[in-house]
Amino acid sequence: MKKILKKLCVDQGLSGCELEMYDTVKELLSGIAAVAHDTSGNIIAAMGDQNAEKHIMLDAHIDRIGLIVTYINDEGFIKAEPVGGMDLRALPGSAVTIRGSETVLGVICTMPPHLSNGDDELSKDKIWIDTGLPADQVKEQISLGDSVIVYSQLRELLNHNIAVSALDNRAGCAVLIRCAQKLKDKKLPCRLSLVFSVQEETSELGAGTAAFSLAPDEAVVVDVGFASQDGVPSEKSGKIGCGGIISISPVLSKAVTDKMINLSKRLNLSCDYEVTGGGTGTNADKISSSKGGIPTGVISIPEKNMHTQVEFVSLDDMEQIAELLAIYVTEGGAVNA
Amino acid sequence: MLDYELLKKLCTADGISGDEERVRNIIIEEITPYADKITVDNMGNVLVFKKGKQTPKQKLLISAHMDEVGFIVTDILDNGCIKFASVGGINDSAAFAKQVKIGKNGLSGVVNAQPIHVLKADERKKNPKIDSLQIDIGAKDKEDAKKYVSLGDSIVFDAPYENKNGRIISKAIDDRFGCLVLIEMIKTELLYDMYFSFVVQEEIGLRGAKAAAFTIAPDSAIVVEATTAADLPSAENEKKVCCVGGGAVVSLMDRATIYDKQYCRLAFEAAEEQGVKVQTKTMIAGGNDAGAIHSSRGGVRTVAVSVPCRYLHASSSLIAVEDAEAVYAVVKATAEKILSR
Repeated sequence: MKKILKKLCVDQGLSGCELEMYDTVKELLSGIAAVAHDTSGNIIAAMGDQNAEKHIMLDAHIDRIGLIVTYINDEGFIKAEPVGGMDLRALPGSAVTIRGSETVLGVICTMPPHLSNGDDELSKDKIWIDTGLPADQVKEQISLGDSVIVYSQLRELLNHNIAVSALDNRAGCAVLIRCAQKLKDKKLPCRLSLVFSVQEETSELGAGTAAFSLAPDEAVVVDVGFASQDGVPSEKSGKIGCGGIISISPVLSKAVTDKMINLSKRLNLSCDYEVTGGGTGTNADKISSSKGGIPTGVISIPEKNMHTQVEFVSLDDMEQIAELLAIYVTEGGAVNA
Repeated sequence: MLDYELLKKLCTADGISGDEERVRNIIIEEITPYADKITVDNMGNVLVFKKGKQTPKQKLLISAHMDEVGFIVTDILDNGCIKFASVGGINDSAAFAKQVKIGKNGLSGVVNAQPIHVLKADERKKNPKIDSLQIDIGAKDKEDAKKYVSLGDSIVFDAPYENKNGRIISKAIDDRFGCLVLIEMIKTELLYDMYFSFVVQEEIGLRGAKAAAFTIAPDSAIVVEATTAADLPSAENEKKVCCVGGGAVVSLMDRATIYDKQYCRLAFEAAEEQGVKVQTKTMIAGGNDAGAIHSSRGGVRTVAVSVPCRYLHASSSLIAVEDAEAVYAVVKATAEKILSR
């Protein structure tokens, strides 16, 4: 699982640039699934019996948050705006990589203490990036629209925990790939589509278009959810190491949700639950109302520090969700075809 | 060119104030073949004498500090997370959501961030105070964490080092760059006898330099530093203080010192003779070991020559190679000018 994550938690694949991840996904699934992409850029891996009556879709968004270059001034400083819900508090003074014609390391400008007590109000309109390079060189290597990613290295913490940026939702993508590995060479009672969907962080675009085109009979969304940590209400979160968070929500299919809950009990897998009064804030909100309605469930990997460069998950949780999903698929899902 | 591979080694060595040992070891290893006398004093300062071709009339000390800013473990919580305090002046924003290394073995950790999704709109726009933050090492609970971390362990930024296209991005350039300049001087043949000190605990009150200056008892001193450059899009005119790419910085006055005016002039002249850029600070800001050295004993004539550095006390600071080269040229030439008198 760690190997898969290492390949996935990279600078590539900001929302709108997901096809940068195409070769990586293809390589990770080589010999396991037929990988293609659609008009929106969704990467779709086909497995199982393509003629089966039953069609299950597993979705994980592959886009990551970051920034986009919007302006370069005469001194060579680069202005950028967030793509997705960046945590502005995490930006000042952070190193970033700018994906220009060359990858350039930069730093997000921050005022030294003599000019600021650190109390300044953060604003997405005031983000400047410093490469230290002369303006002509900056303009040669970097163009408007280039991706900017906050620098972070995958670090293994104690107890199989991992910290790195992009775990939202490359951790979910890794779970799908691990699940596919488990299903390799198995005869499935259904058609299975693994969807690595685009632009969840900006509009949930990919989940909607993929669900429409694929028209599955049911879908399970794998995303990250809040892990318990200081300042996060316990009803909105699951503990790191809990094995996965199953969502219960009015927009979700009771059949899919119950099947996952029952499976976890039957297999003696631990899990936690998150109940929401409305939507889930994941791709499931889009998928469940696609076409004439698609029964959808959500299972999440508990994650600390969401939308920062120190996102934090447990490899054990990911492994367990992959196991649960593999059995879910082997048993032909929840909804009768 | 200065030895920038050595700068990388110095910057990536971890050594907050009071825990300079790793940096000290690198320095001693580098200078041992070249120095005439090396002593480590009770505070951990490295005091060096190097003979030159001539013995001048006065004693000149060239000083840089070994310590970097960082954090220290103050408590281990029931949830297995670590409370910490800053060592040296660090803005709240510099700590937030950073990757860090803890203790002698460089255990990985992260400064936790309450997800913005659960915050109110105004909370999203302000950095929380450092004393409200926790470091997560992935421990299950307090007992688990205590197996790996102890109170008082050092914490440093886990950040990239890059030297490319004429500029360097790294942690701890303040003041491993100064250490590099001193090492490079010790490695060359000197015109005059000189004293050098690699000192501890600058960031928490110029403490090492005080002891070093007492022991060496110099007549004059040059402090080699990294100083704040705020030449950023949101800073105007004089508030930029000094500029990256503007050359060596000779301070006239800062919060700790009014520098020796004649020596400042010598430094400017030295820059001109060496054909390198030189600038001064356009604000009375910051302070360095000169504060402790110039007031030592009966007084020491002191000048500071610094590399302009953006994001000085943060995980990724930035300098230009041309400025670094200029500082070396100015320090060496100024030293010779002082000692030739």
